[in-house]
Amino acid sequence: MAAPFAFEKRDKPLRGGQIRAFVVGVVVALLLGSILLLIAGHDPITIYTKMFDSAFGSRRGISTTLTRAVPLGLAGLAVAVAGSMGLWNIGAEGQIIAGAIAGAWVARLGGDLPGPALITLMLLGAVVGGGLLALGPAIARASLGVNEIITTLMLNEVAIRVVRYLVNGPWKDPDGNNFPIAPELPDQSALPALFERSNIGLLIAAAVLLGFGVYTARSAWGYELRIAGSSEKAATYAGISLKAKVFTVLVLSGAIAGLAGGIELTGSSDRLVEGVANGWGYAGIIVAALALMRPSGVAAVAVAFGAVQVGGLSIQTLGVPAAIASILQALILFGALSAAVFTNYRLVRRSSGVTTATVATS
Amino acid sequence: MSTTTTTTTQPAAVELTDIWKRFPGVIANAGANLVVRPGTVHAVLGENGAGKTTLMNVLAGVYRPEEGTVRLRGEVQNFANPAAAIGAGVVMVHQEFRLIPTFTVAENVALGESPRILARRSIEDAVGELAERFGLATEPSKEVWQLSMGERQRVEILKALWRDAKVLILDEPTAVLTPNEATELGRIVATMAADGRSIIFISHKLDEVTEFCDEATVLRGGETVAASLPVDALDAGRLAELMVGEATEVSIRRQRSTVVGDPVLDVRRLSVRDTHGVAVVNDVSLQVGAGEIVGIAGVAGNGQRPLSDAIAGLQAIEDGSVVLDGADITSEKPRARNAAGLAYVPEDRLGVGLAPKLNVVENSILRSYRSLTNGPFIDRGAARASCEALVETYSVKVGQLEAPMAGLSGGNLQRLLVGRELADNPTVVVAAQPTRGLDVQGVAAIQEILVEQSRSGVGILLISEDLDELLALSDRLLVMHEGSVVAEFDPDETSRTQVGAAMAGAVEDTH
Repeated sequence: MAAPFAFEKRDKPLRGGQIRAFVVGVVVALLLGSILLLIAGHDPITIYTKMFDSAFGSRRGISTTLTRAVPLGLAGLAVAVAGSMGLWNIGAEGQIIAGAIAGAWVARLGGDLPGPALITLMLLGAVVGGGLLALGPAIARASLGVNEIITTLMLNEVAIRVVRYLVNGPWKDPDGNNFPIAPELPDQSALPALFERSNIGLLIAAAVLLGFGVYTARSAWGYELRIAGSSEKAATYAGISLKAKVFTVLVLSGAIAGLAGGIELTGSSDRLVEGVANGWGYAGIIVAALALMRPSGVAAVAVAFGAVQVGGLSIQTLGVPAAIASILQALILFGALSAAVFTNYRLVRRSSGVTTATVATS
Repeated sequence: MSTTTTTTTQPAAVELTDIWKRFPGVIANAGANLVVRPGTVHAVLGENGAGKTTLMNVLAGVYRPEEGTVRLRGEVQNFANPAAAIGAGVVMVHQEFRLIPTFTVAENVALGESPRILARRSIEDAVGELAERFGLATEPSKEVWQLSMGERQRVEILKALWRDAKVLILDEPTAVLTPNEATELGRIVATMAADGRSIIFISHKLDEVTEFCDEATVLRGGETVAASLPVDALDAGRLAELMVGEATEVSIRRQRSTVVGDPVLDVRRLSVRDTHGVAVVNDVSLQVGAGEIVGIAGVAGNGQRPLSDAIAGLQAIEDGSVVLDGADITSEKPRARNAAGLAYVPEDRLGVGLAPKLNVVENSILRSYRSLTNGPFIDRGAARASCEALVETYSVKVGQLEAPMAGLSGGNLQRLLVGRELADNPTVVVAAQPTRGLDVQGVAAIQEILVEQSRSGVGILLISEDLDELLALSDRLLVMHEGSVVAEFDPDETSRTQVGAAMAGAVEDTH
């Protein structure tokens, strides 16, 4: 027997559909989550209130949420910039590590420099480091057509191995009680604080996100990017060099992820550690997907994603098992992602036999 | 041979009755019928957009028809999915092969069977035996990425035979093959038919149909216009006519250009090979004078698309040259050709001419955005103004300029595209299938624009599958067949039958 429902493509995308779909998706996810919470013996209202409160209810909460949104947003931007032209940079995780390594290296070389100069050089180093890790995939893709998904993904492993080698070997802190950690960074390399947990990194990320959002939406460069992402032949006809575009976009994507590594290093950490990337690079793929690969939408999604993470962690203090908290987070993200389908498709009911379909949702 | 005798003795292998299938904005099948007898090779003919692929997808369980019935050997079927169709013995070999390149031939053939990985050797033997039985030359232990396109197709056919398909649908099977491979395929198809299987052969190449098939059904506009014609009794010219349609009322009978100016487009001995190295344009020479409309007729897939793409700079040229208004543009990029005075209305409006996901404004400035910048930024006011002017001049009906291009109807897409291409006052327009799929008003509007352009001295190369359009608009009519220009006609002194025969490759004496 055939399924009673089928997806049918809409004549045109639902207007304002993304926001509506996200809201509906999140609501459905919260309802499903309530069932789960009730079964586990918790009051959903209390739990959801706590989640919201911990993420947005206090200065400290907002600061925690925003601090998480910084690497999420930059990694999301890295993926979205590539995604605007149909490229998949799955290597943000590795590029974050490469950025952090490069930043740490700069600190080792120029540890006596005054703070502003050192921080600037470290962040520049991080940008270069992330870009360098993306260089190979960029050249391979642009000149030989090698699938960038595979190459960027594999380089994640390389980056992880390299940082592991450094903190266990040549860069290992002699005073670190044999922990696999690098020595502490010079004091003046820490990003100046802003409020609560937040530091200047928030402003840097906000500026980069805003700048790229506007630049890709308004500039001729961003326009060419979108043409290339929509149709290669149309781009060729318009005189856009696809090879040059692919190359610059992938390197740029890596550089943005590298910056995230640099900010994590100088902002949230006091030394280079193995887990510096903390999964931000992979989470960035989800952020970019939720932003529909539009750089201008990444910031809002990153804040929302950060809030879900903060909320998910906080409810564990109410006795909700970590597993359920994770499932709740996943449900919310999954709901928002899958609901986006409805902007382009609608659900139709199949009556038995071969009669015409009827519309079930508008 | 008559249907009454066959139905009494043996039910048809396939019987599709009154099939309807609609897609947003398109009726793909409007009451199409098809009857295929067991043990025969049955051609399904029709132009692009005639509904062949949709009808076959209905038979193969990919689509469910909105109305109509599918019968196999007399029994009504209601396939929920392709797997159900395969279970009932209907297997489709798609144009894009569905093979896993890093798996061996045998693994691909047996894919989806119950796991018998350990029995690899015995599967290879079984696949080899099956291949031998049907004369399919292949090596079961070879990996698919090492195979030529022809060999890959044989693997697809093996997959079908492995599942004991009683009905095999081959969707334009020779499109990817070299001539030798095509001949080989004909032999394989005959062997399968002799084994009692039915083969449905989708094509728009008439010579293959007469060579490989027993009967032919012709679709046009989603309907069956001729059912189960015996191929022996077929006249290729008549088939071509059935495919392109009877003479309809001519919308515009243009005054021929009396004074044709100097050649503005001069294509000299042009040859093009496709990505498989197959020659798709052979030594084509043609000239278009200022103010002249030169039509190119031909059954789809006879080199029209690579020819127009090569002139526009989207297809690598193997040999020969293209001269535009005296300047050799053979090695120029598309943009330089535009600047030299070339406008291109490609066959694929969405995808080549227009970017589907971008909005109307963004698409309208595809050729001009570099001059609409303010520093690194696109001057949105200027872009919008130029788009509004275009929409106004060419009466494009569009709800919102920020709406994605893909939401516009075919006629409005084409008006915008044509308008954009004409904005720089070109000297030559290459228009490929400019009115295909448009409604009556859309067709008239586009034709009028082309005629208007020719009056103002623009040379137009008009590639079309609509013979009436070509006869009405062209000053001279060329016919392409298998990548070559095989005939030239004066539209005032020829008939549809004559042109149809040339399209089918039967070149009589032309002048």
